[in-house]
Amino acid sequence: MIRLSTFAILFFWFVSFTQNKQIIYGFSEIPQSLLVNPGGKVKNKGYVGFPLLSHIHVNAGTSGSTLYDVFANDGVNFNTKLQSAAYSMSDNDFITLNEQLEVFSGGFAFGSSYDKNEYLSFGIYQELDLINYFPKDYAILAIEGNQNNINRVFDLSDLNASFEVVSVFHVGYNKKVNSKLSYGVRGKIYSSIMNVNSTRNRGQFVTVPGKNNIYDHVFNLDLAVRTSGVQSFVDEDSSDERLKKITNRVLLGGNLGLGFDIGFSYNITDQWYLDGSLLDIGFIHHTKDVESYEVKGDYVFEGINPIFPELEDEQTADDYWSEIEEDFEELFNADTISTNYTTWRPIKLNTSINYAFGKQKEKDCNCIKEDVGYINRIGVQLYAINRPKRPQVALTTYYYRRLFKGLRLKGTYTIDSFSFYNIGLGASFHIGGMNFYAMADNFFQYQNIYNAEGVSLQLGFNYILN
Amino acid sequence: MHLSPKYVILFFLLLTLCISCTKDIDFDQAREYQFNPVVESSLVFFNESANAFIDQGAEVEIVQDFIFIDFFNDDFIVDNVEKISFNFETQNSINRRFELQVDLYDEALGLQDSFVVIQEASSDGQNEIASHVEVFEDERLVALKNTHIILFTLRLLPGPNIDETTSGRIELKSKAVFYFEIKDVAL
Repeated sequence: MIRLSTFAILFFWFVSFTQNKQIIYGFSEIPQSLLVNPGGKVKNKGYVGFPLLSHIHVNAGTSGSTLYDVFANDGVNFNTKLQSAAYSMSDNDFITLNEQLEVFSGGFAFGSSYDKNEYLSFGIYQELDLINYFPKDYAILAIEGNQNNINRVFDLSDLNASFEVVSVFHVGYNKKVNSKLSYGVRGKIYSSIMNVNSTRNRGQFVTVPGKNNIYDHVFNLDLAVRTSGVQSFVDEDSSDERLKKITNRVLLGGNLGLGFDIGFSYNITDQWYLDGSLLDIGFIHHTKDVESYEVKGDYVFEGINPIFPELEDEQTADDYWSEIEEDFEELFNADTISTNYTTWRPIKLNTSINYAFGKQKEKDCNCIKEDVGYINRIGVQLYAINRPKRPQVALTTYYYRRLFKGLRLKGTYTIDSFSFYNIGLGASFHIGGMNFYAMADNFFQYQNIYNAEGVSLQLGFNYILN
Repeated sequence: MHLSPKYVILFFLLLTLCISCTKDIDFDQAREYQFNPVVESSLVFFNESANAFIDQGAEVEIVQDFIFIDFFNDDFIVDNVEKISFNFETQNSINRRFELQVDLYDEALGLQDSFVVIQEASSDGQNEIASHVEVFEDERLVALKNTHIILFTLRLLPGPNIDETTSGRIELKSKAVFYFEIKDVAL
């Protein structure tokens, strides 16, 4: 049994995760940058990711109140803070949570021996994605009740959330067509481990002055929660069996779907280039372990007339009341259905325009040293993700610097739904074939992580053949 | 370009910024949460002309009926409601005083509570208006939460006879006001 306080902690765990990977995007020394643009530039002949360590991504954000707003130990009454958080947020505020863990990955270049201009990359990763919009009207109803809200229409579509855990099997193909253009495509098979979504709710509840009695309470409900992979998991008592179920679903035993990513990069001049990608154009068809709940119906309650119920029909007051009780039960009882359903993956768009400058100069001519090209780069990146209510958009400017042969840095400044002052920093270390990269954003918020509107971390180890 | 170690130092300084700090946070506060919504719901009503009190030509002075109701002993109500009030608004344009007696019984038909809503007669055919409030707190609230059967008795008190020609109506509207105190609720 979950205590409501625990639930409240989870509910107000407003530090959570988004999906923008603005630092790794275009960071072509890192093989995993091909996951955000399959048509990106390839800088290696091949690579192998360290299993389970090659790409760990957590990315956190809230567009509404932060944990610190609600849980600060500042002597202010908790309920006051909770309520002001609830009042300050709108139904478009959200928490999202995104986590990715690469199980394994690798890639190799191929083509004619003198010009290996094609590249194949592949792997498996697990991804968790949650978005939960703040159910404002439900919160107001729970906090205030309807007494001070006569005639206020409570919008039941404010309940809007989706949660999915998937494993993704992917193979990507990248081709450098000529010195200007590269393109790539990545095919994906999704195996959904668990899905819960409630994104198409409609309806309202309103209390209005009545004709026969003081109030009419008008219910118009069209609510649904669809789940797959949850019921059998909840019903299973043994943790060994649960683990077996998960393992099976990770390995394509879940609800399956298909999708693809596409991308390109184009050198406009020697110094300017443009790139872009569309990720997760795909769907999952849920047919196994599906259980959905629907609450649907219209009803107006005006109280009961106990003394003179339908005199003609000789109906007693209790018959009449029982009828009302049945109507209510029918209205609010969730119908359990097991119809198959399809969910679309959240499509992501990345695009950027970039300018490289500053060639490395040698004091003396060194004809043996390789030409590494420009060592600085600046650019503007746009990111958008399709979400149940509306797309979320982020705009990033960045500065990239090749500091040593073994160290490349990228600093970013991002404006998004979470904040206007998001500074990010990423580094990729290369020692021999070993590659380690780490990146994080919202640096200035780390002074108080609980007050962060968004934090993001990515790191990984690879072995790269150059 | 000659790369000075100062870049490296600067970089690691920046990285140390990454070490996250926290300010004082107390998650135990969640136990203190409390919602106090006030919910109003329509309750009983009637609106009848004088003729409704005539059955086969004779005046009916008492109308009585009951309902079985599990609402007030629902766990959520029992655990989270601190106070309930019943607010009645009555109107009368018949020259007879009427009263609505409400008796609350538990499952074993033990009388838990009883109250009467009175509306004076209208001597001149104009609407007489009254309001009445019953507040259930403490012991009375416990009695209400034990209620499974409500018996309604509507009485016309003695006065001029009612026949087919008597004009006027009696009307009653009411609402219940639930004062919740929602604390640590088990889901």
